[in-house]
Amino acid sequence: MSSGLEKLVDSIIEESRIKADEIRKQGHGECEQTLAKEKTEAVREADQISRQARAEAEAARNRLVSQAKQKARLEYLAAKNQLVRNVLNEVRGDLIRFVQNEHAYRGFLVKVIAQSIETIPSETVRVFLSDKDIRRFDPTSLIREACETVRTNKKVGPGDTAIDTLGGAVLTSEDGRIRADCTFEARLELMEPRLLTEISKTLFGS
Amino acid sequence: MKRIAEAEKESQHVLDQAERDVTRMKRELPSRIAFMREQILQEAARQRQTIMMEAERVGAEEAERVTSDTRNQIEALPKMSQARRSQAIQKAIDLLLS
Repeated sequence: MSSGLEKLVDSIIEESRIKADEIRKQGHGECEQTLAKEKTEAVREADQISRQARAEAEAARNRLVSQAKQKARLEYLAAKNQLVRNVLNEVRGDLIRFVQNEHAYRGFLVKVIAQSIETIPSETVRVFLSDKDIRRFDPTSLIREACETVRTNKKVGPGDTAIDTLGGAVLTSEDGRIRADCTFEARLELMEPRLLTEISKTLFGS
Repeated sequence: MKRIAEAEKESQHVLDQAERDVTRMKRELPSRIAFMREQILQEAARQRQTIMMEAERVGAEEAERVTSDTRNQIEALPKMSQARRSQAIQKAIDLLLS
């Protein structure tokens, strides 16, 4: 083969090799470009997953702490309420001691009878006491002192039966339809919300 | 002339091979993309699990601290001064007897 022909053959093959390289290079470039685009998209999705995970994690942490705080608040409140109830029970104990103080308790009885006489819209009023108080104090004398205190013209007299109470009195109209319950039990029941509030204020300042 | 024709034929063969190579690259591309996506998303899922576990751990620690503080506060309640208890009882008695 002449050297001219050899050169021509080499040139044809070389040219095709160069072209083949270009085809490969272009194909490879297109594939890499697609791959890079897909990678960018996948990374964006991964970032989104991370952001969402951080938000969910923060929410989960807050939920745990919030639940603990709520539970703690309720437990603390229950403990405070129990303490206030305990003090109220001590108040009941102190009332028993107060009743044993004859002088102070008698004064209280006269006062509540006097206060209640005018609340009964009846000309005749009956005053009921416990059996123990009937025996300890002269009911007629108590009633007289109470009437003198309020200067009433009503007919006020002792009831015909004894009531079951720790202390205090029950006043009724003559027919018994209207009734003012001034026993400690009734006062405790009626005033319980206020008492609990006052005890709580004194104990906890709120 | 025969030698030139052979060279042309070989040249075409080289080009065809290049085209086949590109076709193969493109055919393999979806599986490469899928593999790459799987790797990236698996890593994201692993990170997500780590983040969640860490949050649970931190949350549980904080919750325990809250519980412990409250327990201490509750334990301190009955140790309140007797003077204050007596004052509360007296106020309640005064209200009841008023």
